[in-house]
Amino acid sequence: MTTLIQLEILRTLRNKRYLMFTVLYPALLYVFFISAYGSGGTVAGGVSVKSYFMVSMATFGAVGAVLTGSAQRISLERKSGWTRQLRLTALPGRAYTLGKIAACAVTTLPAIAVVFVIGAIEGVDLTAVQWLGLAAALWLGSFVFAALGVALGYAAQPDAVQPVVMIVYMLMALFGGTWFPVSDSLKTYARFNPVYDYNQLASFIHGQGVAGAAIAALAAFLAVFTAAAAHLYRKDAQQA
Amino acid sequence: MGTGTGEVAAFRNVSKSYGRVKAVNGLDLVLRPGETVALLGPNGAGKSSSLDLLLGLREPDSGTVELFGGTPREAITAGRVGAMLQSGGLMSDVKVRELVTLACKVHPKGHAPEEVLTTAGITEIADRRVDKLSGGQEQRVRFALAVAGANDLIVLDEPTTGMDVSVRRQFWAAMRAQADAGRTVLFATHYLEEADSIADRVLVLHKGRLIADGSSAEIKARAGARRIGFELHPSDGRAPDEALLRSLPGTVGLDVSTRTDGVHTVRIRSTDADAGVAALYKAGLYPRGLEVTSLGLEQAFLTITGEQDRTESEEESAR
Ligand SMILES: Nc1ncnc2c1ncn2[C@@H]1O[C@H](COP(=O)(O)OP(=O)(O)O)[C@@H](O)[C@H]1O
Ligand SMILES: [Mg+2]
Repeated sequence: MTTLIQLEILRTLRNKRYLMFTVLYPALLYVFFISAYGSGGTVAGGVSVKSYFMVSMATFGAVGAVLTGSAQRISLERKSGWTRQLRLTALPGRAYTLGKIAACAVTTLPAIAVVFVIGAIEGVDLTAVQWLGLAAALWLGSFVFAALGVALGYAAQPDAVQPVVMIVYMLMALFGGTWFPVSDSLKTYARFNPVYDYNQLASFIHGQGVAGAAIAALAAFLAVFTAAAAHLYRKDAQQA
Repeated sequence: MGTGTGEVAAFRNVSKSYGRVKAVNGLDLVLRPGETVALLGPNGAGKSSSLDLLLGLREPDSGTVELFGGTPREAITAGRVGAMLQSGGLMSDVKVRELVTLACKVHPKGHAPEEVLTTAGITEIADRRVDKLSGGQEQRVRFALAVAGANDLIVLDEPTTGMDVSVRRQFWAAMRAQADAGRTVLFATHYLEEADSIADRVLVLHKGRLIADGSSAEIKARAGARRIGFELHPSDGRAPDEALLRSLPGTVGLDVSTRTDGVHTVRIRSTDADAGVAALYKAGLYPRGLEVTSLGLEQAFLTITGEQDRTESEEESAR
């Protein structure tokens, strides 16, 4: 099983287009937002532009890496028949999905790190504990989206998976505070958006304490997405 | 083979439908150790569906499938079965060697990767990316995955699709080597030539039913292996007499058509063309443009399957 997981990680890191999209794209957007909003400014709620978008672009990159890395690939490999071929090996069925999630988890790290490095250069000032805590929080949070990606990969038809993933990704980002802070009137609903909760994980660096509600919400999302993914996987295995 | 029953695989009255299509219809079949078996059938006959059932990729609607006396999944986890699917994709963004190594490592009785690369004849392309291969090369990589360990049964679904002639011959040699090593080999194919030169046993599948099971010689004899074609001109005397033509030795099928100028075109399917032609002349007929051709697989199918269809419709109308 570890052999498969290693190979999944290796091939993901080899795919240059994927790395460009998931690592470089959020980093460039971050630089763009800083210059557009002015590096000295603050967004609504008094958080500095630099640190607000550092978090939102890190989560944007992580969610993108994880969703495309799992949903798109699973769907394509269902179509190509690779998943069927794997079922003819002694590997347990979960090995494939675990391999995908592991590969995703590895790629979220550079997506987060590159944005953090730019943030540090731009003058985001955090203690070492805060940097590490934030990186760990965002990395762990990305697993929620990995589970969502696996579910989408088994739910969507191969031809439809790309638009479906993009729409889900963009809608969650749009109303989750990725490009602009969520207005107070929408906050009641934003709790039901995993990207919003994901961004809230960073509240402790803005002096707002640990976001317990967001953590609870993400845990619930993780449970729901995992159950959906497991169900869809079993359904697929019966029809393969 | 250690199963006590001496059965490698068994289908017991297995059926599988997709909606209203009966892909596999009451299949009863036992494979014995060491056999090399060809599963012949036209497109849509249910070959892939049968193999999917055998490998546990699908569950039958009714009946049971056994591999080495247990479930297909048990046989796979025990490393007793290797398979090459018709629709088996490969992992992208990896090298051939990496993929073969993966297959060897996850196999409970895996061979050394270098050995498998040699067996499948892909040592030269071992460092190429899997996604950059030609169709024939891809097939050989799939074959490598099927022989990555010491399996007792190897299942191949139309393995030579996309291979050119010389590669196809190399591939057959590799397949035969597997059989010579005592493995049971089951392969689905379109090509009678393939079944003929490799298999000890040929199964003919049509519309999900097993309609013939025997050596390739037996199958061909049943199909009427050759076709005799000629014309009879009215100016040459004797008019054709269907009863006479039918009574020619070896005749299993007859078709006579008449043009407006009175020329009859005769086509005979025969299991003994030599005797048939000799008897033609003896009967005093003067066949013009005589041709004796061997029946291709396509026609062999049409023959056997046509008989089957006729029997079915007769049963239908008898009800
Ligand atoms: N997944 C599927 N859904 C619906 N029909 C299918 C499916 N797979 C196969 N069939 C149908 O079942 C029949 C047998 O197909 P198949 O087993 O692929 O035949 P073969 O391999 O001999 O060409 C065909 O009529 C085919 O259209
Ligand atoms: Mg087929």
